[in-house]
Amino acid sequence: MLAAQVLVNAAVLGCLYACIAIGFSLVWGVLNVINLIHGSLIVLGAYLAWGLYQWTGILPWYVLVLTAPLFFGIGYLLQRLLLNRVITAPVLVTLTLTFGLDLILNNAMIYFFKADYRKLTLVPSLGSLSIGGVVVPVDRVIATAFALVLTGLLYLLLRRSRVGRAVVAVRLDRDAAVLMGVDVKSIYAIAFGLGAALAGCAGVLMALIFPISPLTSSAYLGKAFVVCVLGGLGSVSGALAGGVALALVEGIGAVVVGPSYATTLSFLLLIAFLIVRPQGLLGRKGFE
Amino acid sequence: MADILVAEVQDLRAGYGEIQVLWGIDLAVPAGEITALIGSNGAGKTTLMRALSGLIPAQCTRYRTDGVDLAGATAAQIIAQGIVHVPEGRRLFGAMSVEDNLLMGAYSRNIRRADLRRDLDRVYSTFPKLRERRGQAAATLSGGEQQMCAIGRGLMAAPRLLMIDELSLGLSPLLVEQLVAALRELNSQGMSILLVEQDVTVALELCHSAYVMDMGRIVRTGQGHQLLADPIIRDAYLGVPTD
Repeated sequence: MLAAQVLVNAAVLGCLYACIAIGFSLVWGVLNVINLIHGSLIVLGAYLAWGLYQWTGILPWYVLVLTAPLFFGIGYLLQRLLLNRVITAPVLVTLTLTFGLDLILNNAMIYFFKADYRKLTLVPSLGSLSIGGVVVPVDRVIATAFALVLTGLLYLLLRRSRVGRAVVAVRLDRDAAVLMGVDVKSIYAIAFGLGAALAGCAGVLMALIFPISPLTSSAYLGKAFVVCVLGGLGSVSGALAGGVALALVEGIGAVVVGPSYATTLSFLLLIAFLIVRPQGLLGRKGFE
Repeated sequence: MADILVAEVQDLRAGYGEIQVLWGIDLAVPAGEITALIGSNGAGKTTLMRALSGLIPAQCTRYRTDGVDLAGATAAQIIAQGIVHVPEGRRLFGAMSVEDNLLMGAYSRNIRRADLRRDLDRVYSTFPKLRERRGQAAATLSGGEQQMCAIGRGLMAAPRLLMIDELSLGLSPLLVEQLVAALRELNSQGMSILLVEQDVTVALELCHSAYVMDMGRIVRTGQGHQLLADPIIRDAYLGVPTD
């Protein structure tokens, strides 16, 4: 029974982890930029969901419709106006730039929202599902379902649309994509915009489950990093595999060695993977 | 026919960073013909193609196609004028399916789905093997199929001038024959072709006229069959000693 509960928890949490990581993975894979502002964008999305529910009563999943275009715009402009200027520089330069942007955004959030932990509590509560002794809160089920929908939408966009194919093409062979007439800088901006939109939407879903504070941004960033390394960079299926793997390790670790060591365990796993299997569980070339 | 030029270049200079490779190239590619570019390794043939497609920056006093000025144009502007480059080593998007590769070829055109379908069918009838393999990842194709896919991807851009770099590299003679036949067929439908080819016999037999490059310069030009009979060419590139 405990085993079943741990597995279900891991599946639910794993989809959410995948959702956290997928935008980060896309930006890393396509632009070769380690986007350190990703965690703060997730927190910003969470504050948006929290604020709108607090003041207008709009339920978080409706907020997704607004979050996606808004954050896409933010990401697109960041890339067009700032990151594209240094995109050909060594990876350390773009890392420093996103680090600086993250400091600005994170401190702005501390200034405006304070560092207190806040919780978005739905009233009335949606209760829990109980199937054969396995209990899952309904808000988690909803968040997981939307996380899967977002992941699926990205997959379809990359596979089926003209612009999505161009994003994949730039990742696979930049020069060949240029020969097809692809404007690489605008594809970079679109990919960064998609990454930001996914971060914002993930934040909205996280607000349903976890307490919100600017201080949580580094935890989200860390999870995204581990998921990318576990699952392998640059594929939607890899992010899902990495997310579930991380959630399983944390879940089992919490039972075996205690909840306070779960995160330590996941980072130990990260180090082990970097040594033994740096391409990840499903590591392949190409964002599919 | 031959006096209309699909590409005309004067005094083109290009290179990589500090290293200059091309030292003033004059080139005139007649519309409706197959033009070959031959020369030893390192002569600058690939660099010339990369400059013509806008992949690397180049200086020139003139680069025109059909009355349109292309000097300093971006790769996207050049492909929009129908000058399409099939690069050396195919450079397919390996993890993408054959059909997605072909669709990427049409990226610059932004046309309706029905027209895209029609053009795909045209490529599939030129290279029936690609239809069989349409759902397969391009990286899993054989060398010959990859070259077909690369040419097909170029055709999807609706080229007026198709520039092919190293058609036969690494392919069996039988496959080369098939590809040559396909190029002749495309040419007979009116498409101009600029061909870089290391197999000088294949190139000179296929082309109407040819340019010979050495050390980043054009050193000789003439009709294909003339150059094939030229003792200097035979000596330098065909390995047939003059007696």
